[in-house]
Amino acid sequence: MAKKSSDSMQWGSRLGVIMAVAGSAVGLGNFLRFPGKAAENGGGAFMIPYFVALLLVGIPLCWAEWSMGRYGGRRGFNSAPGIFSVLWRNPLSKYLGAFALLIPLTVYFYYIVIEAWCLGYAWNYLTGDLMQGRNTEVYKDFFVSFTGQAADGAVFSFANGVPQILIFVAIVFLLNFALVYRGLSKGIEAFCNLAMPLMAVCAICVLIRVVTLTPHPDIPEQTVANGLGFMWNPDYSKLWDPATWLAAAGQIFFTLSVGFGVIINYASYVKPKEDIALSGLTATSINEFFEVCLGGMITIPAAFVFLGAATLTTYTASSFSLGFNALPNVFAEMPGGQFFGFLWFFMLFLAAITSSLSMLQPVMAFFEEGLGVKRFGSTAIMFLLTVAGTGFVLYYSAGLAGLDSIDFWSGELFIVVLALIQCLIYGWVLGIKRGKAELDDGADIVVPGFVQLVIKYISPVFLIWILSSMLLSKNAVSGQFKIVEKLQDPLQATGFGIVVGCILLLWVMVFFAGQRWDRQGRYAALDKE
Amino acid sequence: MTTAGIIFMSVSVASVLFLSVFCVLRVLSKNQSKG
Repeated sequence: MAKKSSDSMQWGSRLGVIMAVAGSAVGLGNFLRFPGKAAENGGGAFMIPYFVALLLVGIPLCWAEWSMGRYGGRRGFNSAPGIFSVLWRNPLSKYLGAFALLIPLTVYFYYIVIEAWCLGYAWNYLTGDLMQGRNTEVYKDFFVSFTGQAADGAVFSFANGVPQILIFVAIVFLLNFALVYRGLSKGIEAFCNLAMPLMAVCAICVLIRVVTLTPHPDIPEQTVANGLGFMWNPDYSKLWDPATWLAAAGQIFFTLSVGFGVIINYASYVKPKEDIALSGLTATSINEFFEVCLGGMITIPAAFVFLGAATLTTYTASSFSLGFNALPNVFAEMPGGQFFGFLWFFMLFLAAITSSLSMLQPVMAFFEEGLGVKRFGSTAIMFLLTVAGTGFVLYYSAGLAGLDSIDFWSGELFIVVLALIQCLIYGWVLGIKRGKAELDDGADIVVPGFVQLVIKYISPVFLIWILSSMLLSKNAVSGQFKIVEKLQDPLQATGFGIVVGCILLLWVMVFFAGQRWDRQGRYAALDKE
Repeated sequence: MTTAGIIFMSVSVASVLFLSVFCVLRVLSKNQSKG
């Protein structure tokens, strides 16, 4: 018997859930990571493996997550451990579901810090403090100082007053929790319905500004067209390099929030007979619009016009350096740069907050469903856990090592593990026959049958390939496995310890949740089906 | 920008734009028809 959700714990409209899922997927990666990866890995040629990965992994896995989410939601479960129990009637399944809580919880630890950077930069453009002429060192110094990279604990030094970053972290923390406390329809959905169109308007304004830029008379070759060429001219030789395919698959994976534990939770609130096939495809295509049509046309061409190919190459390897070091130089010289700088970073802030909101809900849904706490209680528990995790990231700020460590273990490694678990449960436990029936129920588009075969056979192979490449890659100089080297680094090992500690804590909670669901007869109801 | 670059950019942007516009319009029309 399905549990009746309160009104605030349901989506208000179909467009609302699409906006919320798209908002979760559209993040900094669309505007900073994608153009850098494309430019580094063959330009236009990168789009071949990119679209192959979208078709073979991205869209099928999104549909699988939507199907599993609504399948569990129909049976009264909204949290991943509960949904996994529905999908696989095995005592172990709920513990596997805990990985879908671990990822959003731990990624939030550092994502909120990056979100605060974006808001901080937007504010500093508004006040004019970031308009300091063209000087690469000034902006590098600003970034180092703003983020506390000079030394561990720098952001907690109050010698010169309260550091700006702490104020912005506090603002974004309060904003996130205030919105998520209001629930799905009144909080997350209402905000995403406003933020997504606003984000598109900001991005289109910046895009128009970028494509109408004229080159400096002294460097006439640095045109927007040549900037687009830097990003899109194909280098076919890169297609024979497995690293290019791995980069494309990784980009698709990160950009769509597949294996994040978000879609499965969001889809569980979709009404039983409502379409998920078209909704899933629409959310994916909106994300791709932001990535390819906006992200692929703004960042690199703008930076090229002002910095040139040689300088730009030094920035493309890192999303942070492209976004927070290179672009301020661009805005400094661009006519109307202060306004467009504000617009750009405010848009990045919107992209970040719609994603960070989506990381809170899956875990809070579990606290409410598994531990029986009310919304206030789940908000409070989540607040305490994330403050502790974010405190670690903020304190170990030298070289952003704390952020990097959690990002690697959770944001790169464990999301592939979770995606593989979900893929195997969908294809081999739930079964593609039942999966297809769930996807087709109420569908507004016809999903070809081969998609199910892709999820069952091709996507797992793809994911195993990505995972093994991560686990088995070696350092070319030392010959040692990179993952072993990471564990030998004390801070990386601490980050790993934090992630493992979180999963252990979640497993304990899942154990008690399982007992609670058993006492409530919810498992017995499932067995009768 | 080379001709191949223009082709790759145009095809990528056009296909993503087409897919997203098609999906959003279809969602809106289905919403309307369902009242």
